[in-house]
Amino acid sequence: MPAHLITRSPGPGPRASRRARRLRATALAGALAAVLTPVLSACGGDTAAASGGSTLKWTSSYFPTHWDPVVGGSGAQFRELALTYASLTRTDETGKAVPDLAKSWEYNDRGDEITFHLRPGLTFSDGEPVDGAAVKAAVERAQKQKNSALFGDLTSIESVDADGLDVVLHLSQVDYQIPQLLGQRVLQVASPKAARNPEKLDQNPVGAGPFVVTQLVPGTKAVLKKNPDYWDAKNIHIDNVELTSAPDASTVVSGLQTGVYNFADLDPSQASAAKKAGLDVFVQPGFNASNLSLNVNKAPFDDDRVVDAVRHAVNRQEFVDKLTFGYGEVTDQPFPKGYVAYDPESENAYPYDPAKSKKLLAEAGHKAGDIKLDLVIPAEDPQAEIVQSQLAKVGIKVTIKIDKNWATPFFAKDLTFSLYATTGRDSAVQTLTAHFGPDGPLNLSTPYEPDGFEAAVAEVRRTPLESPDYAKTLQAATRAGLESKALVFTYSQPNLIAKSKAISDLPKNPAHIDWTGVTISGSR
Amino acid sequence: MTMVRRVLTLTSGRIAVTVLAVIALLAVLGPLLAPQDPLATSDNTLAAVSGSHWLGTDHLGRDTFSRLLDGSRVSVLGSLEVALTALVVGVVPGILSVYLGRTFEWITLRLADTLVALPFLLFAVAVIALLGNGITQAMLVTGALVSPLFYRVARAATLAVARSPYVEAAIIAGASVGWIVRRHVWVKVLPPIAVALAQTIGVGFIIVSSLTFLGIGVQPPAPTWGGLLASDLGYLSYQPWAPLAPALLIMVTVWAANLLADAIRDVSGEAGRAFVNQRRARADRPDTTGSGPEPATTGGA
Repeated sequence: MPAHLITRSPGPGPRASRRARRLRATALAGALAAVLTPVLSACGGDTAAASGGSTLKWTSSYFPTHWDPVVGGSGAQFRELALTYASLTRTDETGKAVPDLAKSWEYNDRGDEITFHLRPGLTFSDGEPVDGAAVKAAVERAQKQKNSALFGDLTSIESVDADGLDVVLHLSQVDYQIPQLLGQRVLQVASPKAARNPEKLDQNPVGAGPFVVTQLVPGTKAVLKKNPDYWDAKNIHIDNVELTSAPDASTVVSGLQTGVYNFADLDPSQASAAKKAGLDVFVQPGFNASNLSLNVNKAPFDDDRVVDAVRHAVNRQEFVDKLTFGYGEVTDQPFPKGYVAYDPESENAYPYDPAKSKKLLAEAGHKAGDIKLDLVIPAEDPQAEIVQSQLAKVGIKVTIKIDKNWATPFFAKDLTFSLYATTGRDSAVQTLTAHFGPDGPLNLSTPYEPDGFEAAVAEVRRTPLESPDYAKTLQAATRAGLESKALVFTYSQPNLIAKSKAISDLPKNPAHIDWTGVTISGSR
Repeated sequence: MTMVRRVLTLTSGRIAVTVLAVIALLAVLGPLLAPQDPLATSDNTLAAVSGSHWLGTDHLGRDTFSRLLDGSRVSVLGSLEVALTALVVGVVPGILSVYLGRTFEWITLRLADTLVALPFLLFAVAVIALLGNGITQAMLVTGALVSPLFYRVARAATLAVARSPYVEAAIIAGASVGWIVRRHVWVKVLPPIAVALAQTIGVGFIIVSSLTFLGIGVQPPAPTWGGLLASDLGYLSYQPWAPLAPALLIMVTVWAANLLADAIRDVSGEAGRAFVNQRRARADRPDTTGSGPEPATTGGA
């Protein structure tokens, strides 16, 4: 009721009158709330909650722009796509390939052919069978589709044969990395029927994963429900998923506190607030590694002394302290410490030494301020400002240039100096070739490759994963790759996550978010 | 009495001019007044307010006060660029549309309608995407999009004068269009243009701050008020007070520009002159009743 219509009682004084008005206002507000809350809740379209059961409300900074796994590629978005797509293999907590859609596999004696045996009786969410023909179609689509981001990852596969629930991959070389390769990052398998129209699949995903997409608002929100036909459905204890694109980092914690979300990717700057709010904050292990990308085909990086000067000018700890608030780690390799591919012998090969850096620049004939570089990046990034500040200390003047179309010159290898951050790959060899190979997409200096790298990688491919020599061979390849003058690794951005304490701990699969066995208490 | 002197007779006018003069001074001398290098990073990140860091330090250990001073130039120049572009692009066709015939009038009116329909912030972002990341091109385009305000104000004032008896008399006496515009039209058009200009400076500040808040228009690590505000919001749990300084600066500057616009409007035209004379007369009269409150006419009567 509007204030001017309230009848004033002549008896009580102004304070009592105010109290009476306040009481009436409170009562009115209460009545309105009682009436409107259920109405508004019903209108809110909370489809997942309305259907009952446990609901994961995940807000992600990497909401997929594409839902066709072939187009999405092997970047960070594969984690969300894995909600609805299953793959031939997956990785366990040690990073080793284990069965997923394929229950087992075996190589031929020469190591140039591998046969995967699929689980029987599985179907995609559109009812199509998960069989050898579906896997063959998935591999061939990834190799041939015009907008595929994966064709470069599948060069070892020459041809595919399907026979019922078996699929045979004929390889162009001996390559024991294939089970590692065909995991969630590279071969999420879509229904072949749905994939006949890739544009439609891109907005209407059809897979055989743990959840089925029921509603998709491109770039904003996806609603999923549990897939009862998933091969491991008995270990999926979440009934519904609401996946949303994360808002501004500073508002994520508020969203978690108020129950808008119960699971979120978290910027390290928000970790302290999340902890204070009583949320469960943890780092999911990963393969993240950031680097400075140098083009050795262009001046001044065509001079090895300048490259070495940059290597010694980088203070990795500053990145960790200022950008990750201590949650990240310094790294001078594309792998985390302790991972099978991490090479202890290469650790700290170019320590922070600005004096040495200046000396190298002087030897190369450069006075302070002589070298002027454009650091081209796609968006504002404090990492670039740290690089600029560190190189300024040794006399290299860096101008930061933001180019929204950065990807085009970067992948065309036209830039001289840039930044990149990888989320890694399940196959260590794939990580190595992507960074150091002559045609590696992350090698800004194509066709340059370090001496001995190709032979070292070939040796790893020839070494079975179970071989006692595998770790040693793989680390030798990492060592050979790190001789590259095109990359200076800096730090590892943590996969920082905040969740409601109602959600149980996740399996610690590196770089993956695996919902197997995860429960949400208090929802049923 | 000139318009400037008349504006200064009002309290609101004096406050607005003082605030804007300080902001202009910051734009000119800010980088020189900065106590520390605004780009120099340090290990002292997200530090609290102290004697050595008056507004603390940011996430990279840079002195926030120095960055605020250094960033004032971009905001001031950007908003002036918007206002002056709009002035030039809007006023000249606005006056000419009355004299250059129906075709010119029709074309300029339709053009003004079209420009009004374009969302200038979105358009500025699109232009930056097309022409590269720079505040100058964004502000020039924004100025062009704001120009219909000046076009309509100038046209309306010119139409009123063009149909007045003394202008008709001048035409009959053989005066040229140029002479009429210089002698009669310009003095009538100037006051509403001055109001629009002051308002547009305020709008320009908001646009520059919005663009730089989004990280558009300037190359890092160049400081801007909007950029500082945006970066501070990411560290609210460490420095909840940090966004206050840039936000207050933006707010006060826009408020002062609007206050100036109100003051110019209050002292413009016959009514404005009468109002000022009345105030002067009241001020000259001996005070026998004690000093009462100032009439509430300065805030936008």
